[in-house]
Amino acid sequence: MSDIRALLERQARWQKTRRALSWPEKIRMAERVRESVRQLRRPQRAEPDNPERTKP
Amino acid sequence: MKAVAQLLNEMCSSGVIQNYALFGAAAQMRYTEPVATLDADVLVAVPQPDRLDVLDDIYAFCAARGYPPEGEAIRVGPWPTQFVPVFTPLTREAMDQAETADFDGVPFRVVQAVHLAVIALSVGRAKDFARILSLLESGSVTRQEIGLLAARHDLSAAWQQFETRFPHE
Repeated sequence: MSDIRALLERQARWQKTRRALSWPEKIRMAERVRESVRQLRRPQRAEPDNPERTKP
Repeated sequence: MKAVAQLLNEMCSSGVIQNYALFGAAAQMRYTEPVATLDADVLVAVPQPDRLDVLDDIYAFCAARGYPPEGEAIRVGPWPTQFVPVFTPLTREAMDQAETADFDGVPFRVVQAVHLAVIALSVGRAKDFARILSLLESGSVTRQEIGLLAARHDLSAAWQQFETRFPHE
């Protein structure tokens, strides 16, 4: 468990280093993931044989 | 985003808008880690704010430069850009006191961190609270600064609720 905790803490520290990037670089990073975000946020369609389930 | 900055500066110099400032997630990234967002949000002051068609001149200006409308926004390169006329004393102050950043050599007015935080506080959705926490964590603004600005804009109760929900560690 402590290994996992250490791993997560290391990962969090690494992610925070992105804060030091320049603002234009951070914006370009956001631009690169925009299409994925758009698809994730797109309204889901229900499957005809199972209205409880949705598909992309 | 550079094209958005260039377009806004042109709008200002041609008189279509009097002033502008980027806010929302794209502005937040100036102070925090990158965050996922789909839109660029811009506060604008227009010469005739009481007109019903307050954004028409902006849309016409953009169309003449090949930037088409897309829903409630105008697409500038990859960014659907939403123009929001300043609608409260808080948003007016945020725009007036915005800083001019450098975006790849182009001046780009961006709302300060403390105003971003208090605008987020005034909206009050979960993602707005996340924005405040992220700005605090980045050290770009303090709880005291947010509290003082919130008080000036009649948002002390909202700030106290936030402090109760997300106490300082």
